Amino acid sequence: MNRFFRSVLGLIPCTLLAFSGAVFAQEHSYAPSDIENGRGLFQANCLGCHGDNGDQVEGADLSSGRFRRASTDEELIRLIREGIPNTLMIPKTNLSYGDTRAIVAFLRSLPTGGALVADNRDVRIGDASRGESLFFSEQTQCSACHGVNGGGNLLSPDLANIGATRTPGSLEDSMLDPAKEVRAGQRFYQVTDMSGNRTEGLLLNQDTHSLQLLNGEEKLAAFQKSELDSHGFIPSPMPSYLDVLSPAEVADLVAYMLSLKGDQ
Amino acid sequence: MKAVKIIACLLLASIQLSAVAQVTPERLLNAEDEPENWLLYGGDYDSHRHSDLTQINKSNVDQLELKWVWQNRARDGASEKFEATPLVVDGVMYTVGAPNNVVAIDPVSGRLFWQYSYTPLPEARLCCGRVNRGLAIHGNDLFMGTIDGKLLKLDARNGEPVWLVDVADPELGYALTLAPLIIGDKVIVGPAGGEYGIRGFIAAYDVESGEQLWKFNTVPGPGEPGFESWEDPEQEAWKIGGGSIWQTGSYDPELNLTYWGVGNPGPDWNGDSRPGDNLYTESVVALNPDTGEIVWHYQFTPHDEMDYDATQAAVLVDMEWQGEERKVILWANRNGVFYVIDRESGEFLLGEPFVSVNWLSGFDENGRPIRALYPTEEGTFIMPNNQGATNWYPPSYSPVTELFYMPAWLDTFSVYTKRPVEYTPGQQYVGAFPTMAMPALGVNPVNQRLPEEGLGAILAINPQTGEVVWRHMMTNVTDSGVLSTGSNLVFAGGREGHFYGLDAETGKELWKASLGGQIANGPMSYAIDGKQYVAIAAGAGLFVFGLPE
Repeated sequence: MNRFFRSVLGLIPCTLLAFSGAVFAQEHSYAPSDIENGRGLFQANCLGCHGDNGDQVEGADLSSGRFRRASTDEELIRLIREGIPNTLMIPKTNLSYGDTRAIVAFLRSLPTGGALVADNRDVRIGDASRGESLFFSEQTQCSACHGVNGGGNLLSPDLANIGATRTPGSLEDSMLDPAKEVRAGQRFYQVTDMSGNRTEGLLLNQDTHSLQLLNGEEKLAAFQKSELDSHGFIPSPMPSYLDVLSPAEVADLVAYMLSLKGDQ
Repeated sequence: MKAVKIIACLLLASIQLSAVAQVTPERLLNAEDEPENWLLYGGDYDSHRHSDLTQINKSNVDQLELKWVWQNRARDGASEKFEATPLVVDGVMYTVGAPNNVVAIDPVSGRLFWQYSYTPLPEARLCCGRVNRGLAIHGNDLFMGTIDGKLLKLDARNGEPVWLVDVADPELGYALTLAPLIIGDKVIVGPAGGEYGIRGFIAAYDVESGEQLWKFNTVPGPGEPGFESWEDPEQEAWKIGGGSIWQTGSYDPELNLTYWGVGNPGPDWNGDSRPGDNLYTESVVALNPDTGEIVWHYQFTPHDEMDYDATQAAVLVDMEWQGEERKVILWANRNGVFYVIDRESGEFLLGEPFVSVNWLSGFDENGRPIRALYPTEEGTFIMPNNQGATNWYPPSYSPVTELFYMPAWLDTFSVYTKRPVEYTPGQQYVGAFPTMAMPALGVNPVNQRLPEEGLGAILAINPQTGEVVWRHMMTNVTDSGVLSTGSNLVFAGGREGHFYGLDAETGKELWKASLGGQIANGPMSYAIDGKQYVAIAAGAGLFVFGLPE
C-alpha cells in the first residue's frame, strides 16, 4: 500500500463521520404536502413569538437552520411538543405528532436552511471560488470590513454563516442596494453631545432614556439622551457595488456567500 | 373572675367578627368610598382605575422609594408575564402570579400570609402565555379563573380551596385568564381561546354553591338573537366562531347592566368560512346581570379578519355630551379608534382614531365602520398591526381632569395574508399569522428598531372630542395599564421596564423607576395606616413604592 492510498483510506472514517452527522441532522425527506402543511402550522402556531423571519427570539434564530437544543428531527419534534421549561416556549400539546413533524419538515425545507419568507426571484449564481477571490481582493475590499470566521471588524457582520440564513436575492440586494433593507442589529447611529462632539457606531440597544453603541473604535459606549444635542439613525457604511462590479462578478460573490454555511 | 369574663367576651366578639362577611356586595357597590382599599379588578364597577388618595402628589412624587418586592415563584418554577392587578382589602393584599399562584401579602412589608399554588392540567393550552389578570373577592372568599378552564373559590383567610368548578373544556382551547367580576351573589367569568375555535360565552355562578346560574353565548346559536349574522349556508361556522372573553366587565347598578367586551371571531385571519358580521364578536354587550339576557350591543369591527379583539375595559362615565347629561362608555379599541357610546341604549356617539389607521374610512350614520381594507391572498398592508393600537391593558379615567388615560402602540402595521385554514378540535384555528415589525408578545432585551416600525406611548384623551391632549412617548411599546390619582398623577410603564409618575394635566415625567422587566399589568394604589403606596408588577416581581418615612 503506497503512502497515497494509506492517506486516502485514513480519510474515509472522517468523511463517513461528517456525512453521518449531516444525515443524522436531517434524517427524513419530506413530501411537498407535508412541507406546505407545516408552513401553515408554523404560521399559525409559531410565528407569533418567533416572528416573520424566525429570528425574533433571542438565542433561537430559527432562520439559521441550526437549533441549540435539538439536532435530530425527533429532538425537534419533542422540543416543540414538550416546550422548554421556564421559558415562553410553552408545550404545544395541541399539535399532534404529525403536525409537529410537518412543522419540522417546513423548517428543514427552507432552501438555505433559513429565510422563512420565500424569495423566489431568479438570481444569477456564479462561481464560488471566483467569488472568494473577489471577496478578498483589493478591488472589492469586502474583507477589510467583513470577517469569515474571524477577520474584518466588529462593526460589520461576520459572514461565516450567511449562506445558511439569507436567500440569493437578499444577498444580491445587500451588494447592489445596501440601503434597501438594513436589518436590526446592523443599523448605524449617530449622537452629538451638547459640545458638538459626534460619535457614530453600531446601535446595540436603546430605550426611552439611553443608547448603547459599539463606537467606531470598537468600544462599548452608552449615552443618556437627555445629555445629547441630537441623535438618530444614519445610513450604513456598506457601499453599493452597482457601478463597481459586473453582473458576473456579483453572481460569483453571491455564490461564495451561499457557500458560507458555518460549521454545519 | 371579672378579667376572665372580659377575655371571654372579647374572644366571642372576635369569633363573631370573623363570621361576618368581610366584603359585602354593598362594599363593592361603593368601592370608591374606600380609597385605602382596592376591592375590584378595575378599582370600582366603573373600571376607572382612579384612586382618590392624594398623599403622593406632584410635589413629592420624585421622592418615591421602593418599599418591597415580591418575586413570583410558582410551583413549577415558571416565571412568565405578570398581568394581575392586586386587590387590597382591610390590610391584606391578594394577587396572582403566573400561572395560577395566589398569595396573600402584608402590604406594608411584602411578607406572605399564605400562598396557594394551583397546578393547572397539562392540557391547558393558551395562545399567548400562561397568564392571569387577577382575583375577585366576595365575603371572605377569593375567586380565580384557572388557565385550564375552571373557576376556583378560596378562603381568603388561609388560602384553602373551597370549591373548583369546570367552566369549559381546556382540551378544546378554553382557558380562564381574566379576573372574575362579582355582582351581588354572582361571580361572572368568560373563557379565552379565540385562537382555538371555541364558542365563547359569559356565565354567572352562585358564589356559595358554584352552580351556574346563567350563560350568555357570545356567538349565538339557532333561535338566539344575532344568529342571522352568521351567514354561511352550512350554518356550521358559529359552532367554532370564537368570541372569547378575557377582560373583566364593568357594571352600572342604576341601569342594572353589566358591560363586556367580546374577542375575535374564529378563524382570526380568514373570514371566508364565516360570512356575515359574526355577532357578538368584536362587540360590547350590555347584559342584565340577573338573567344574562342581552339588552343591547355595539359592534366595533364587523366581520373582523385582523384579530382586533374588543377585549378592553368598559370605562363608565357620566358626562355632559352636546349639552345633555349622558351615561356613556369610553372605549379605546384595539382597532385604533376611541369610542363614546351611550350605555343606556348602545347608541354610537363618537369614533375617533387615536393612532394611524387605514382599515376604515369613517362611519355611516348608524356608527357602523366603513371598511376600507381586507386581508388578501397577496397580502394587505393594514394599520394598526395585529397586536393592535391598544389591547387588554386597562386604561384610566380621572374625574378630576375629566381625561381618559391609555396605553397605545403608535403607527404599527401588519401585512395580512389570507390562507386556507381548517378546524381541528384543540388546535389553533387562525390562518396565516400577519407579519409585524414589533414582537407580538415576546420581549427582546434589545431594541434596534426604527421609529417607523412603531413606538409606544401613554395618551391622554379628551372624551368630548377624542382629541389626544398629550402623549408620553416611549421607544418601545407598552402592555401596561394606567392609574390616575386624586392628586393629578398618572402612573404607567412599558416593555422597557420603566415605571413612570406623570403629570396628569401635561404628561410631563415627574418620576421614574427602572424595574428591569416588562410591565404588563395595571398599577394600583392603596393606603395602610395613613400611608399611601403604589404597586406595579414588572417581569416576575411585584414592586411597591411609597414616600420616605
